[in-house]
Amino acid sequence: MTATQMESVAGAPAALLAQGISKHYGRRRVLRDVSISLPAGALVGIVGENGAGKSTLLRILAGELRPSAGSVALRGALGYCPQDVVLNEQLTVAQHLDYFRAAYRAPDLRRADELVERLGYARYRQTPVSALSGGSKQKLNLTIALMHRPAVLLLDEPYQGFDWETYLRFWDLASELRADGCAVLIISHLVYDRSRFDQLYTLSDGELRRDTTAA
Amino acid sequence: MAVTSAEATRGQGSITGAWLTATRYSLIELARNRFAVGLLIVFTPLWYFMLGALIDNAPVAFKYAPTGAMFQVNSHQLTLLTAGLNVITLIVGFLMFAQTRGGAAFDRRLILCGYRQWTLMAAKLAGMVVVAALVALYGALALLLFWRPDSLPLVWLGFFSAALIYGALGLLIGAVVRSEVAGFFLVIMVSLFDTFFQNPVENPLANKPVLRYFPSYGSTQVMVGGGFTHGVALGGLWVALGWAVALAALGLLGFWLRSRAWNGARHVG
Repeated sequence: MTATQMESVAGAPAALLAQGISKHYGRRRVLRDVSISLPAGALVGIVGENGAGKSTLLRILAGELRPSAGSVALRGALGYCPQDVVLNEQLTVAQHLDYFRAAYRAPDLRRADELVERLGYARYRQTPVSALSGGSKQKLNLTIALMHRPAVLLLDEPYQGFDWETYLRFWDLASELRADGCAVLIISHLVYDRSRFDQLYTLSDGELRRDTTAA
Repeated sequence: MAVTSAEATRGQGSITGAWLTATRYSLIELARNRFAVGLLIVFTPLWYFMLGALIDNAPVAFKYAPTGAMFQVNSHQLTLLTAGLNVITLIVGFLMFAQTRGGAAFDRRLILCGYRQWTLMAAKLAGMVVVAALVALYGALALLLFWRPDSLPLVWLGFFSAALIYGALGLLIGAVVRSEVAGFFLVIMVSLFDTFFQNPVENPLANKPVLRYFPSYGSTQVMVGGGFTHGVALGGLWVALGWAVALAALGLLGFWLRSRAWNGARHVG
């Protein structure tokens, strides 16, 4: 796929374009011919009930899982926040940030430090993950996805375990990312505030439908 | 030109730097396994004491491979050596199993974020070698509380080679066995059978040719050489290293298969 094709599909520069994604495990079809374009600077939501295939789709978009059919094209660096908190219980917050700095080949930790401050868990920098609360673990899970300033951000139920204040901070952050040109995709089984999204989709029985009632 | 997303985001970071970082965190993680560290500190001398107390000083024939002859060794001292081998293999096997199995999702995330699989694999190996060396050192030093062997460095070498074999076995089991209970059980049973059979005091079938094909055979030869002769059982050392390399290769293959991501998204622009 070429850059020209990516731009032409969405009508605006697409940061991520997935076409004809299907996934089946044996005879069970989880995703059927799903196509989605994430324009740069857009906040896109996918809602669906538990078991609708949301996480499977996100794992395919993130490159973690191979689809049975279809393709994914990506422009720029990718950030992915999985639904399950994937951290190392033995390492501290600071050690996680340093470890993922090496993974991303990031020159420094300025952005990571800023995120830790903004999400309000800087006092736990030297605390091992095993001693963190569920909410703090989720904040670190999110920080890791964001710390390398990705062009495309895929978030799977990102605000699970957040208190109200952190939930609001999260949306401030998401709005800033959108303003900076980042394509943000959030999947959730519940969307409290539809007006926050530029585009909203519903995933049901493995099929993705654009929700035109979104703001 | 289209390249994969992973390649595009990887850049030109220093492989050595990434390897050192991963090795450091691998070691920190292993050191923070409090259960295993506690087991090592308390259980090792206790095991020496208990098994040593059970066996008296009667002579027993041991077939020493470098000379091809049977020679008489002290049953009590030989049992101390095999007790050390038993506890060291259990602890290193358990440590590597717990780390590999428990860290599978985390390793996959690191790889998805740009860590090279080979770098993480090399770091796991380095961590395993350091831990095997340190656990073997503690086992050798704790032995001094009960007996002074002829050559402590050679006893350490025997312990170290066995620790490498069982570290590699733990890595392999951690990469391929999904159930935690089944994995622990496998490490324990293999270690118990293997080290038990090497000791002619506990097992009348010891010294039989078939024991050459057991994982800790080579290490036992090196260890007994150090314990009673100052001699280096080089053949045994090579056999032990062969086991360690073969099991580590299989373990790394399992790790590679389990931790790889699709990374098939095409990167454009």
